[in-house]
Amino acid sequence: MESFTPLTAALGGTLIGLASAVLWLGNGRIAGISGIFGQLLPAGRSVLWRLVFLAALVAAAWASARLFPQLGAGGVEPSVLAAPPAGWSIPMPLWLIVAGLLTGIGTRIGNGCTSGHGVCGIARLSTRSFVAVAIFFSVAILTVTLTGIV
Amino acid sequence: MIARMSYFVTAALSGALFGAGLYVSQMVDPLKVLRFLDFTAIPSGGWDPSLAFVIVPAILVMFIAVRIGRHRQAPLFDTRFHEPDKTRIDRPLVIGAVLFGIGWGMSGICPGPAISLLAFQPDGLFYFLLAMLAGSLIGGFLTGSPRLEKGQAA
Repeated sequence: MESFTPLTAALGGTLIGLASAVLWLGNGRIAGISGIFGQLLPAGRSVLWRLVFLAALVAAAWASARLFPQLGAGGVEPSVLAAPPAGWSIPMPLWLIVAGLLTGIGTRIGNGCTSGHGVCGIARLSTRSFVAVAIFFSVAILTVTLTGIV
Repeated sequence: MIARMSYFVTAALSGALFGAGLYVSQMVDPLKVLRFLDFTAIPSGGWDPSLAFVIVPAILVMFIAVRIGRHRQAPLFDTRFHEPDKTRIDRPLVIGAVLFGIGWGMSGICPGPAISLLAFQPDGLFYFLLAMLAGSLIGGFLTGSPRLEKGQAA
């Protein structure tokens, strides 16, 4: 299993935990990306810190790929998105649009995603987050199984 | 003024740590994520459990931060912790988690990696990102709250 990378995974996870800790103890905000991104529209009062956060996130991903190419994606930049399952004859853009819509609607009405519920919510011992995480992980695993996308 | 600057510096620091963590952990790679979600590969030994090693330390670090926060009146640069006030397991939570699970399983992309992928600009990413933003707007109107309430999760 040459693709198994527990050490860099744990290092990355620690950084994500620190990111959430900094935002919580500094600004009292939950580092839930779906909320930070989804709240950009309709633009409200507190849109500026969200833009700062997201810009820093993109910049840091870009910079770490260049500073530490041996870590992370192993020198290979992640340039490939998942394609629709072979034999389904669905155009790539349509597949991505449906996936994006479901992700946007789902994280909004469910109040969170992998970061908001999965990291921050579980760390806060929120029952809602435990339920949400159990559901979205199970459904994602089921979806991958049924589509045979990998 | 200084407190306001600190607020934005904190947001930038947090975002930067988050982006670095997503790259180092390879959460930015949709195929890596899908290989974790593909439990059918367990019998053949081809399953990649790496992402379990991402979420556990992330939760542990945040858990300690939450404990520290509970001993304080307020965060450093705001007047209060914006703690989600909903506690009930309601229908929107369940339906939302199901829809997100389908989207995540279709693409291997959850919102954090979706944003960080802007740094690598893979083909078709903008379809996903614009659809995700539109979906969030639609979800807001569906639940009658075009704007998130103060302090909701994520």
